[in-house]
Amino acid sequence: MAVVTIDKLTKVYDRGHAPAADNVSLDIADGEFMVLLGPSGCGKTTTLRMVAGLESITSGTVSIDGRVVNQVPAKDRDIAMVFQSYALYPHMSVKDNLAFGLKRRSVERAEIERRVANVAGILGLAEFLSRKPHALSGGQRQRVALGRAIVRDPKVFLFDEPLSNLDAALRVSTRGEISALHRRLGATMIYVTHDQVEAMTMGTRICIMNGGRVAQVGPPLDVYRRPANTFVASFLGNPPMTLLAAVATDRSGGRCLKVGDSEIELPPGRCPPLRPGSQVTFGIRPEHVAQSAAANGAMIPVEAEIVRVEPLGAETIVIARLPGVEKLVFARLPGDAAFAMGERRQLFLDCGMAHVFDGDGGALGAGDT
Amino acid sequence: MAIVRRSLLLIALALYTSFAAGPFVWAAMMSLRTTTEIHRNHFAFPNPAHWDKFSDAWFKSNYAVYFANSVQVVVVAVLILTVVGAMAAHCLARYKFRFNRVIYFILFSTIIFPPQITIISLFQILVQYGLYNSKLGLTLVYVAIQLPLTIYILESFFARIPADLFDAARMDGYSDWEIFWRVALPIALPAVATTVILNFILLWNEFLYAVVLITEEANRTLPLGIQRFLGDTQEDVGMIATGLMIAIIPVIVVYAFFSERLIQGMTAGAVK
Ligand SMILES: Nc1ncnc2c1ncn2[C@@H]1O[C@H](COP(=O)(O)OP(=O)(O)O)[C@@H](O)[C@H]1O
Ligand SMILES: [Mg+2]
Repeated sequence: MAVVTIDKLTKVYDRGHAPAADNVSLDIADGEFMVLLGPSGCGKTTTLRMVAGLESITSGTVSIDGRVVNQVPAKDRDIAMVFQSYALYPHMSVKDNLAFGLKRRSVERAEIERRVANVAGILGLAEFLSRKPHALSGGQRQRVALGRAIVRDPKVFLFDEPLSNLDAALRVSTRGEISALHRRLGATMIYVTHDQVEAMTMGTRICIMNGGRVAQVGPPLDVYRRPANTFVASFLGNPPMTLLAAVATDRSGGRCLKVGDSEIELPPGRCPPLRPGSQVTFGIRPEHVAQSAAANGAMIPVEAEIVRVEPLGAETIVIARLPGVEKLVFARLPGDAAFAMGERRQLFLDCGMAHVFDGDGGALGAGDT
Repeated sequence: MAIVRRSLLLIALALYTSFAAGPFVWAAMMSLRTTTEIHRNHFAFPNPAHWDKFSDAWFKSNYAVYFANSVQVVVVAVLILTVVGAMAAHCLARYKFRFNRVIYFILFSTIIFPPQITIISLFQILVQYGLYNSKLGLTLVYVAIQLPLTIYILESFFARIPADLFDAARMDGYSDWEIFWRVALPIALPAVATTVILNFILLWNEFLYAVVLITEEANRTLPLGIQRFLGDTQEDVGMIATGLMIAIIPVIVVYAFFSERLIQGMTAGAVK
């Protein structure tokens, strides 16, 4: 059971280059499943390895249960890590792979046997214990990698993209198993991924990173519903949120935006009154674009030219262009929506769910205040 | 068609094998015949077979001593070479430190010098340190001449072991020293076995350094012992063949022990 506190953590690999992790601060509560999410190269692995003690820290601190561990070697931090490549010892049987960490910690032989058998049971590895890793399938190796961490019963679990080498079906089932494992063990876990579905479905909270910095931290749905900046807004969601350049007009008390040739009026509470003429970004998620006005009054009709229609069965993704706007708007419509390419028709924007970002990309009044 | 190709291949292989093994078989036959018999007919079968020549060589011609000397010098040298070479290779392959590549290059560049260049100065140095004419001196020289190649072979293998394995072992609680012995070395075993065979055979047959650095009868190694039968005017061909056979047996044993099958078995578990 452990609280992990990361404070202003910075890593510079090569002097003169941009830091791989830049002032990362993050509090991870006891028993929390924290997901570090971000595009490839944003510093997730670097941050995780500094917590593990595998990478030296340029500045900042990592604390476990209030104790700064910067100078504590990896082997004394009582942390287990599951690697993207699994990193199974090729010359050892599955059983020895599982027991290797326990042997070093001078756990009694009988206790090792018991724990290995227990973990093998949980992960369905019992019949493979005497095999070498090369004689296992990808999914089985992945389980051994998981088992090697579990068997040690560490204070903190670290995962570095553990599912990225599995095929799609296995990834879904293993995702569920890791979540179940977290509930069962109640241990503190830090999980790195670039897959937003994993982040959304598994995380107690997610920490979105970009260019070595923390972009936003929060429970998955909060982050999804109230992205703190345009990066988070466009990174989460598939298709992503449409972000369009807009200018504030002097109508409706500074809550009317001119997007291309259309004027869009935002309900109060969606954004603070804007200074007329200020440049902002208007964001709307695909699911908040509709083909007909709903009962509530916040739906703003806009003229649109349908550019592409992607019928997926359960839903239809419609890609449209608003007059005078270069960027395309994504709409997630019901599967029976009948649209034709090149057609001009009205779409309705649910502006009660729209987002407005300032010139620097920061959210304006994004909270449902 | 397939049968024709197969038998052609077999014939070619059989021809090559007899070509390669011919001299060996010939020497083996001569080792059981006396020099007089050999002079009479070079290629005859040993009839009668003089097995007693082996015990003569062993007891009367001091081969027991040469053999023991060779075993001592070569086994110790190969042991040191293997352990020090593997450690150095692991270090050069895995740790980032200043001048890592410079050290590697300097080590490697010594491979190109032929032994004739250094042997005179080496002789001087050994005399000065009182190591001339001693088994210890020869052992150290053997380690020195084979170390660069050993490190070179092992380094490329150690460098292929994924770094994640070492990180995993660190997370499992092992120190760098333990990681070398319990993770790196076992995984590199196929390469280590290769260098053991290579070094053993090379040093077992080594003649040039031995003949320059050892003169005393009690410290001679096997290749020097065989030389003893080469007189100025006459050579005892029969006894030379017997000596050769005695010298070859350990090489065959070492090779069989670290044979390809074994290596394959070890490689099967190794890194992709
Ligand atoms: N050992 C290293 N030496 C130098 N640069 C590195 C090293 N490891 C990672 N980097 C750089 O640091 C940045 C962050 O890398 P990483 O933490 O691996 O990102 P992520 O795991 O999010 O994909 C990248 O630009 C990468 O090139
Ligand atoms: Mg990574």
